[in-house]
Amino acid sequence: MSEKRQKLNVKAARKYGVYAILIAFLLVLPCLPTSGPYFIHVCILIFTYVIATSSIRTIYVSGQATIGHAIFMGIGAYTSALLAMRLGWTPWITMPLGAVGAMVVAIVSGYFFSRTRGFYFSMVTLFFGVAVEALIRSWVSLTGGRAGLISVPGMGVINIPGLGRVDFIASKVPHYYLLLFLALVTLLVLYRLERSRTGMNWMAIAQSPLVASSIGISETKFRVIAFAAGCFFAGLAGSAYVHYSSVLSSSNFDFMSSINLVIFMLFGGMTHFAGPTIGVIVLVVIPEVFRSLRQYAPFIFGSVMLLVIFLMPQGLAGLFQIVKAWRSRIFKRGA
Amino acid sequence: MEIFTQTIVNGIVLASIYILVALGFALIFSVMQILNFAHGSIYMVGAYVCYYLVSSFGLPTWAALLVSGGILALFGVFLERFGFRYLEKDFNRTLMFSLAVIVFLQTAADITVGAYVKRVPSIIRGLTTIGGITLSKERLVTCVVAVCLLLLVTFLIRKTVLGRQMRAVAQDRDAAALQGINVHRIAAIAFGLSSVLAAVAGGLMGSIIALNTYMGSAMLLRAVTLVIIAGMGSVGGLFVSGLIIGFIDAVLPIFIGGAGSEVVALGFAMLILLVRPRGLFGQAI
Repeated sequence: MSEKRQKLNVKAARKYGVYAILIAFLLVLPCLPTSGPYFIHVCILIFTYVIATSSIRTIYVSGQATIGHAIFMGIGAYTSALLAMRLGWTPWITMPLGAVGAMVVAIVSGYFFSRTRGFYFSMVTLFFGVAVEALIRSWVSLTGGRAGLISVPGMGVINIPGLGRVDFIASKVPHYYLLLFLALVTLLVLYRLERSRTGMNWMAIAQSPLVASSIGISETKFRVIAFAAGCFFAGLAGSAYVHYSSVLSSSNFDFMSSINLVIFMLFGGMTHFAGPTIGVIVLVVIPEVFRSLRQYAPFIFGSVMLLVIFLMPQGLAGLFQIVKAWRSRIFKRGA
Repeated sequence: MEIFTQTIVNGIVLASIYILVALGFALIFSVMQILNFAHGSIYMVGAYVCYYLVSSFGLPTWAALLVSGGILALFGVFLERFGFRYLEKDFNRTLMFSLAVIVFLQTAADITVGAYVKRVPSIIRGLTTIGGITLSKERLVTCVVAVCLLLLVTFLIRKTVLGRQMRAVAQDRDAAALQGINVHRIAAIAFGLSSVLAAVAGGLMGSIIALNTYMGSAMLLRAVTLVIIAGMGSVGGLFVSGLIIGFIDAVLPIFIGGAGSEVVALGFAMLILLVRPRGLFGQAI
């Protein structure tokens, strides 16, 4: 018994060790001499998409295939940017408010959307996304319409006790750490949520809404919770990114952006928690690596997608399971 | 009065093209349970193929429409034969495959055409007067061609053996296969047919408005809206929802602008989904 426990401890230690090494690597990364500003920019992009794509997976886990997720990034971004620009509040306050704004919209709309299931839910979220995007585009006095907003205030220069003066204007590195921190927090919260009782309820609803409600799981309640949680982090991703890029246009949140998020998630694999993260990293890095091909680069992107579709039914993260099965087979043969 | 009649004609023309595209989308969905998001891109490519056949090969417009329909039909069959057939019953993978097709078609269009705006020459130019109302001939022709095509396809689905087989596959794939229907063949034909409809719609639209490479996603959205409002599996309903959305798109931009009319159209579709998810004419789900 104690031996078994020891083995488990070793396993857990190994697992956390891997995470610790990964995080340490990410912390050191911007200090390496090879990391130029452009590299940092790509990393920030990846962190933003990791937040958004992991949050869309949370909604999918509860059996709700949303394809209007990008608009919640947009709601977060516009809320935060407008509060900062019109009322002059500091972005450190408006950023979380943007996420909360997206969540409030998600709670209200998610309550109505939860009347529909499956394919019809996908369609209603699709329409919602496009309709809100069109609304933003047509409300010129508030949002600047098609031209969008420019010179959204940045994070500025702040004094953090212990770290001293942190200058967000001069360098991208503080933004890197901010987005890294937010991405890690997002992943942690979403992971804990999914493994909690709430997460189990989500999976039950995804498998069969009827059976789930027969054992006392309120379908509406938990679906709205999943939708709101996912959209909160989408709003966070949007509002964190807008204060970094300082420009904002409604075309960043249109139909195809939502579809892109779905591609990232399905590419990485939906069955595994790390799937969206892997998908984002691979799919953001590929076009950057093949930048020399210019307009032909999307062909590489598409070809990689085709490879994954036909060779890895579970997405890239399905490789974990394949490798595991292989290892156990070889192990058995050896014994 | 002049604006009034022009708006009505515009509404009908838009509606007939929307219905053409939506019919193909609905056909694939009901026969194969596939959400073919690449349908909008096929429509876009059809329009450009038609344009290049006219401008580079000097074909008359009506022949270009036919040829581009044929080319895209082959492409649709190709997609089914070498793509969707291997991904059956896996919703996520078929969705992703159609998205990959969008990536390829969109990139190819961006490379070959670029940002330039093109326009397919119209079949007939000039104006005609019917009952004291002046109409442009090209819109009239577009409308007539679209309506004829729609009636033809409706006839094909409702009355012929092929159509009956399609409906059988749509109802129950396994039972249809047990009756000796070649399910794969039917699926390939459905794909080819829907691609023809999209390509012809693209060519017709190209003679009315200017082409750009992003017209596909807007049309895809319209097709989905139409199918949702009409309800799955209802061909007749598509005509009604097509007219509704066509008129919203023709009339409202005059008063509240293009983006505003989009909000109204999509809001209407959302309302239908929330109040009556099966659509106006769909069967119970």
